[in-house]
Amino acid sequence: MNIRFEHLLGQLERGAIDRRTFIVRAIALGVTGSAVASALSRVGRASAQDESAASIGNPEIPHVEGTEKGVIKIYSSWPSTGSMEGIGVDALEAARLAFADFGNMAGGFAIEYVPLDSGIAANNGGWDPGVESANANQAIADPDAMVYMGTYNSGAAKISIPIMNEAGMAMISFANTYTGLTKEFPGNEAGEPEQYYPTGERNYSRVIAADDIQGALGAQWAVETKGVESAYILDDQSLYGHGVAQVFNDTLLEMGVEVLGFEGYDPRAPDYQALMTKIADAGPDLVYVGATVENNPSKVLLDMRSLMPADEVVFLGPDGLFTQAFIDGAGEAAEGAFLTFAGLPPGELAGPGADFNARMTEILGHTPDAYSTYSYDSAVAVIQAIDQVGEKDRAKILDALMATKDFTSLVGKTWSFTETGDIDNPSMSVNEIVPNDEGELTITFVEAIGS
Amino acid sequence: MEFNGTLFAQYLILGVTNGALIALIALGYTLVYGIVELINFAHGEVFMMGAFLSLSAVSAFGLVSGAGWAQIALVSLVAMLAAMLFSGALNWSIDRVVYRRLRSAPRLAPLIAAIGISFILQGIGIYWKGSTTILPPNLIPTDIRSVNILTDWLGLETRIRFRALDLAVILLTVPLLIALSWLVYRTRTGKAMRAVAQDRGAAALMGIDVNRTIATAFLVGGILAGAAGFIVAYYTNTARFQMGFRYGLFAFTAAVLGGIGNLNGAVLGGLIIGLVWSMSDGFLQTYIPWWGAQWTPLIIFGVLVLVMVFKPTGLLGEAVPEKV
Amino acid sequence: MANLARVRSAGGSSQPAYAATPRSRRDIVIFVAILIFLLAFPFIDQSLGLRLMGALLPIGIYALLAMGLNIVVGYAGLLDLGYAAFFAIGAYTVGFLTSPGSVFVQAGWIPPFFQQFWPALVIAFVVAAIFGVFLGAPTLRLRGDYLAIVTLGFGEIVPNFFLNAVPLTGGTRGINPIAKPPTLGPFDFGQTAQRNWYWLILAIGLFSIFIILRLYDSRLGRSWQAVREDELAAASMGINLTRTKLWAFALGASFSGFAGSLFSSAFQYVHPSQFEFTLSILILSAVILGGIGNVFGAVIGAVLIGSFDRILAERLTGPLNAFGEQIGSDWLASHNVGEDRYVVFGLALVLMMLLRPGGLFPSKQRSAELQPDAEDISVQEQQDLFDVRQHDDEVSDVRGGQVA
Repeated sequence: MNIRFEHLLGQLERGAIDRRTFIVRAIALGVTGSAVASALSRVGRASAQDESAASIGNPEIPHVEGTEKGVIKIYSSWPSTGSMEGIGVDALEAARLAFADFGNMAGGFAIEYVPLDSGIAANNGGWDPGVESANANQAIADPDAMVYMGTYNSGAAKISIPIMNEAGMAMISFANTYTGLTKEFPGNEAGEPEQYYPTGERNYSRVIAADDIQGALGAQWAVETKGVESAYILDDQSLYGHGVAQVFNDTLLEMGVEVLGFEGYDPRAPDYQALMTKIADAGPDLVYVGATVENNPSKVLLDMRSLMPADEVVFLGPDGLFTQAFIDGAGEAAEGAFLTFAGLPPGELAGPGADFNARMTEILGHTPDAYSTYSYDSAVAVIQAIDQVGEKDRAKILDALMATKDFTSLVGKTWSFTETGDIDNPSMSVNEIVPNDEGELTITFVEAIGS
Repeated sequence: MEFNGTLFAQYLILGVTNGALIALIALGYTLVYGIVELINFAHGEVFMMGAFLSLSAVSAFGLVSGAGWAQIALVSLVAMLAAMLFSGALNWSIDRVVYRRLRSAPRLAPLIAAIGISFILQGIGIYWKGSTTILPPNLIPTDIRSVNILTDWLGLETRIRFRALDLAVILLTVPLLIALSWLVYRTRTGKAMRAVAQDRGAAALMGIDVNRTIATAFLVGGILAGAAGFIVAYYTNTARFQMGFRYGLFAFTAAVLGGIGNLNGAVLGGLIIGLVWSMSDGFLQTYIPWWGAQWTPLIIFGVLVLVMVFKPTGLLGEAVPEKV
Repeated sequence: MANLARVRSAGGSSQPAYAATPRSRRDIVIFVAILIFLLAFPFIDQSLGLRLMGALLPIGIYALLAMGLNIVVGYAGLLDLGYAAFFAIGAYTVGFLTSPGSVFVQAGWIPPFFQQFWPALVIAFVVAAIFGVFLGAPTLRLRGDYLAIVTLGFGEIVPNFFLNAVPLTGGTRGINPIAKPPTLGPFDFGQTAQRNWYWLILAIGLFSIFIILRLYDSRLGRSWQAVREDELAAASMGINLTRTKLWAFALGASFSGFAGSLFSSAFQYVHPSQFEFTLSILILSAVILGGIGNVFGAVIGAVLIGSFDRILAERLTGPLNAFGEQIGSDWLASHNVGEDRYVVFGLALVLMMLLRPGGLFPSKQRSAELQPDAEDISVQEQQDLFDVRQHDDEVSDVRGGQVA
């Protein structure tokens, strides 16, 4: 591979460093996952899996093994083909890994994981309301189904939350960040969030911070650390992108920062130079792009950088851009871009997080997508809820899941669910895209922000 | 708001450059429509395939960083020629294998087949380069990409940016347009094409090989699309399997706007669409505060509908009444 | 080819072939058997554990759309490439009228009566028809391709408008919830009542088929055929060309709007991304695949295309991967059939056009045409189906290129 990696391997073989340190450093060097995995298998295997499983979640809840009570099915629904393959498949494998870490059993039941795809080819793999509705109905119609994991898209959650609510089944999402799904917020539509809970009982929780936190903390960071005095805000016209951009916009306005413009861009447009000319003429200190990676943000960044170099104008984006594909699409232009993320980048994770990263890398053949850690967390929360209840009862499992507390996540934060189903101790970090020692651009942790 | 001349000039430059690219693609639609009266829906995808091939061609060269002007120009030329040949051959084969068999079928048949081919090519695009946006392999170094002719070469004091890259697009596009015009209006093949466009039966009676003439139109349209594929991939520095869809629809609108079947019309339409695009993305907001880039597709397709309703022959349609 | 057929058929009688075909007892038995099968399908689905109900709802909506598009394309010979736009207009109309989040409801402009599902459905039907007339009136006098282009542009504009007119539509948030049909005896129409929705859509579909068949045999339906066959001849027989086409276009549009309102209520969600160009093409392909001009063909086409897109591609992946593992092929073992949808879908269209252009289930007229003895006008009808160019050639000959 290279000299530094050989050196590292030598250290591992001599016992100068442990496996975890080896994995963390190797990934920091930009070594591919398969190379790390094969190196590790040469040196000999340790029982890394057990460590990981034991230290995630609430350690006070004992894991109940055995399958004598029967089978419980856990459904999940998010898109995992086409443009969503990178995020979707990684999340799915992460959930599968979580269940496997607990021996595919909980509360005396065998756990059967049933991942469903909510995407269709016509949307380039993106979700479809008909499919999401069908998936949700499939889950509630299965008497063995106890929990519905998902969705990825907040729009899809708008459809399945009420379905789950009427069926009294717990739902837990690893990626929905739209505020209106769970809590009162000035940017909500009328009737949110109550309209999603026709029975009046809450049945939905999420292990990731909502947009209000990410947008607001991102804005505070931009003003306080970067001294931003004026900003231009773009979004990809998706529920997520627009929502997080809206919060960013509102927070900036509250803080007295001048917002020079706030508009959507056409994700299908092949060229944004005219748009960027307009923005450059407005002369902002910062450009914020609320988008997910499949909606062409790399091209937006490319065109922005051709007019506004990184040392003059700050680029800030939300965690929807927090993936290697964003860098791959933008190339050199990605250097110096800042991204907020609810947690730490996979390469920065220590302990179980680093172990998770290495094992996922081995399974997938590439570094896992940043969302996959949340998918793992949510699966562990489900397992522990079933462990606590030990019965095949949707209502009891729902209550146990909604009452999850003191849960240590893969990113190393400990949180509990609030009564709205949000986490009470959200983690948030700012990261920058900079070259690593190999000269390859990678997402690198800068600082934690917020609580 | 006060009129900002510098900014307006900047949008003009961007509009004309993008417009030239749209025109190149629009010519393919209009050539084929003029002769066989088929809206070749797959044309945008032929363009996309050309772009993909040019990326593969550049990677095959393995251009080292720090290459000089001469080497970049050489590799560009070869990659562009490869893309042109590939797209031309692809378009020709599609006609040979599919459209020709449907020549006497009801009119909807080739159109539906074209939509089918467009889907197939998109699928192949996914197999080939994946479904996410990709960055083309390194060809033009960043410092060369950003050379501004007005300030760096001419030493003018201006904020207007007219890059060598913009100039290159125009320098590559204009000769192609001239060559096409020469082919259609000055050669025997061109004469045959015009004859077939006017009256296929009469042309056949005059001894013109109709199938061959139509095949030539597909070949030429494909060649232009391939050239556009290379230029767009390196001008915008991005490529994706869906790139043919939006560019294709814009180009199609341009062809209709100019008067479908009319070559000059396609070029004029392309320039207008390019200008509308850049003005809507940028300039309009100066006067209409709530305007934003999100309205651009709407205004372009609005132009399409309005032209069809009020002037269905397009701007230059009268020049070739026999086409309709 | 087509011209020869025209000459050959010129002396035939003008009696349509299907009218002469007696409806045999066997047909009725088959019809009743299919009906019973369809009605009982939810139970079959449940007992066999097929879990097809969820996929069948969108497929049912596709079938409704295909029936409507078949009026426009199949009966009247007008190519509509923006059919999804009317679907969007219908869905949004119901959203505007019935969703508590809609600006119109909040402004108190909507009387409570129209905030219910069925009245809103009727309004959506009318609104979509109005838009159909609005779009069709200036364009229907143009030649066929131009109409296709205008509808394509319209199909791009409408979802884009709904996406961007945020104060009106909520933009990317979409509109929900949406009113549901009131409970009918034991049948409620919540989101979890898929089976009831299935029966509702089935009932509406059967009713629609009945209406469409009646329509086709009506004076208007005959005018459509006449116009499709030969505009000039039809016009000289006293048929008002524009009005006849406009009727077809408006009826097709209202059908789409009607399907859109059902769709929005069944899935409780309206979002601009559901109404893109690909949907228009999907429905067009269904009509083409099943058999142009045949309402049953259109329905079967929609079921086939919808099943592939929503059932087969999902369910083939697992077995294929298992097979790949057995034969030791990494590619097969990790291949997702969903990725092949573009190619399979495209191939289906191209192959249909090359090998069986009349569709899998050609209309009865076409079947009659295939029999050498049936020498009647339908031979020519079928040969010239949609051959707008030829009619236009003739028209422009007479009018001296006035159309251009």
